[in-house]
Amino acid sequence: MDFHDYVEGFLAEADEHLGSASAQLIELDRAARSGQPHPRAVRELFRSLHTIKGLAAMVGVEPIVDVAHEMESLLRGADRAGGRVPVTAVDLLVQGIRAIEERVTQLARKQPVAPAPPRLVAALSALVVGSLAGAGASAAGPRLGLPADVDAKLSASEREQIAQGIRSGRRVVVLEFVPAPEKAERGLNITAVRARLSALGELVKVVPRSIPATPGSLAFSLVLVTSAENQSLAQAVEAEPGAVLELTLAEPDGPDDSDGPDDPDDSDFGVRVADDLPVQAHGYVRVDIARLDDALEKLSALVVTRFRLGRAVAELAAAGVDTRALDAIVGETTRQLRDLRAAIMHARMMSLAEMLQRVPLLVRGLTRHTDKAVTLSIQVGDAELDKSVAEQLFPALVHLVRNAVDHAIEPRQERRRQGKPQDGQISILCDSLSGTHLTLTIKDDGRGIDREQVARKARRPVPRTDEQLLELIAIPGFSTRDEASRTSGRGMGVDIVKRTVDSLGGSLSLQTSPGQGTSFTLRVPLSVTIVDTFGFTAGAQTFVAPVAMVEEIIEIDASRVAHAPALAGGHAPALERLAAAMIERRGQAMPLVPLATLLRLPGRAGLPDASKALVVRLAGRHRGEPVAYGIERMLGRQEVVIRPLEDPLVRRVGITGATDLGDGQPTLVLDLVALGATLFSHARAEP
Amino acid sequence: MAHILVVDDSKIMREMLMACLRGLDSMSFAQASSGLEAIEQISLQHFDLVLLDLNMPDIGGIEVVEFIRGQDRLRDLPIIVVTTRGDEVSREQALAAGASRFLTKPFTPETIHAEVQGLLRPPGQVA
Repeated sequence: MDFHDYVEGFLAEADEHLGSASAQLIELDRAARSGQPHPRAVRELFRSLHTIKGLAAMVGVEPIVDVAHEMESLLRGADRAGGRVPVTAVDLLVQGIRAIEERVTQLARKQPVAPAPPRLVAALSALVVGSLAGAGASAAGPRLGLPADVDAKLSASEREQIAQGIRSGRRVVVLEFVPAPEKAERGLNITAVRARLSALGELVKVVPRSIPATPGSLAFSLVLVTSAENQSLAQAVEAEPGAVLELTLAEPDGPDDSDGPDDPDDSDFGVRVADDLPVQAHGYVRVDIARLDDALEKLSALVVTRFRLGRAVAELAAAGVDTRALDAIVGETTRQLRDLRAAIMHARMMSLAEMLQRVPLLVRGLTRHTDKAVTLSIQVGDAELDKSVAEQLFPALVHLVRNAVDHAIEPRQERRRQGKPQDGQISILCDSLSGTHLTLTIKDDGRGIDREQVARKARRPVPRTDEQLLELIAIPGFSTRDEASRTSGRGMGVDIVKRTVDSLGGSLSLQTSPGQGTSFTLRVPLSVTIVDTFGFTAGAQTFVAPVAMVEEIIEIDASRVAHAPALAGGHAPALERLAAAMIERRGQAMPLVPLATLLRLPGRAGLPDASKALVVRLAGRHRGEPVAYGIERMLGRQEVVIRPLEDPLVRRVGITGATDLGDGQPTLVLDLVALGATLFSHARAEP
Repeated sequence: MAHILVVDDSKIMREMLMACLRGLDSMSFAQASSGLEAIEQISLQHFDLVLLDLNMPDIGGIEVVEFIRGQDRLRDLPIIVVTTRGDEVSREQALAAGASRFLTKPFTPETIHAEVQGLLRPPGQVA
């Protein structure tokens, strides 16, 4: 057998380790700049690199082994020095991660892997961090009241972590967990216990101890920094609250650099709630996306079967059989299938924040050899997107960020002269309120794009609007720099960003202001999105609309409805044509439009069919104005998976996509806000 | 039928190890992704061999070896430790602590076959 078959698995794992290594490096950088140790980051970084090294060795990628090996030695020294790393070492480590990332990418693309960069390797091995040992590292460390065999196993870094925990006012406790076959059968094993305790605090150390008196002869002692009380701690390990042992610090003199625990961001690096343990303790599983697609296909087959079952039951009913019980079962199956599909789709989603994990490190690398300073702000909340979309979008985002750093942000001096803050600001923001589209904005406060320079370079007339400007810079191969800038290299042109966004069925827009800044906005329909929606019927058809859009659901009280003549006549020909009415709600009048009529569905026109209405506030020109859409029946609230309608012939304003409620028929998803805009249009209303 | 415990925090590494060994005589596998899990499993069931990566979080492979050898009933449990280049120190320590054999990454399927078969074959049998 050939280990080369395992390259895919290697790439996936390497990717994960590189991602977490980047995050650790950011923290290490911050700590190094303020002269503080960060034992946890050092240890985790060491382990990630050691793992990458071992895997790379097995699949035969020597250059990665070489770089990882040097980085590992440096970190080993740092760990012995109590987790202290000088800023120069952090720089080299960052370069090392980049070198490994480049080679992982080459491997993924089946390109030849470049040899390890000799100067980096030499620099890494020349930097001996161990010589810093003794500078501040508490060699003997404070005395803690631990059982002797547990105490003997603690490293300097771990002692420091415990001491920091106590100084910050938290408790440090020792708990004992005794494994047993019946516990393991219930799923209570050491991994589960670690996960439970990690949720209650910061797990510093786990020590296995041989105790002849107990069955199986094994017990685990767990040292935890926490603020939780004994009751919950004891429950986590299934012991008595009285068995929780608390530690106190017996230090001869207080530390000279004890910052107060007031500022959680800058002080106590080692003290953070949870997250001290590797991924395994959190119950995550890595899933090959192809397996999820496979599961979806099998689900589709199930949906078809259920549809046939439904028809068979209908035939029975037509033959006079009482099928009520069967109907209920079929209905239940429909719901369950819908839920199952949502669950599988959900598993394909990855968080935007996770996707952007490596960007801060990228920015740091880009500014390192320049006289620019950049503050990066990422505000994406907990937005999620389908993994395959993320994979396409990420390179485009990276290019825009690179562009911003390379071309847009000015050097410090120039910014000072302009009266701008010295640090350039780059922000990545996400707004996914529409529920079916993701809007990502990359904004900078730099130079802005020079229209004249662009026009000259493109040999076209000077563009007058931002849209025209975007068209010019999106010409394939366009660039306003004649030589590749040092960090961007050739990179991708804005044309590729546009092409990526277009291929995802989205749009790219640009806003720029000379001297003030630029922002690129990418709007992509999520290929799969899970949205909380209201289901309802109108015109005897079922629809759903995102909950986020509906301000209120009201009952239509005939006494509060006034008919057409009272409308804002002349300004809303569409409303008049639809024989809409006005409804009063809390002293305010708003148009009441039967959805069935608006969508030109068959069925009785007019209001009698509408007993409820969905109140929606419009956007755009009529921002903030409410409209009430009359509907027949509310069907409830459910999370659904939405697929945008891709066929351009089927594009209609107000319909963003379709979903499957489990009955095999597509149910349309309405964008009630967009639909509302058509009510006020002066053109012939063609929704 | 030999029951083997494969310990490594990298899933892909565990898969590679098991794939190597499946070709040999009938084997069954259990997996652990940390030294602590390994110790727990060893205390709860019987194994004929342990394949142990030395680089793992929270409790290194050496400590696992020490712990195992510290138990009377496990003193002869065959342990193969897996290390990487540059890890010579850990390797010596592991052997000193009682590990039976070691493998260095990268190793070939043939190498691991040889080590495993050597340990599982009852003493006195000719190759």
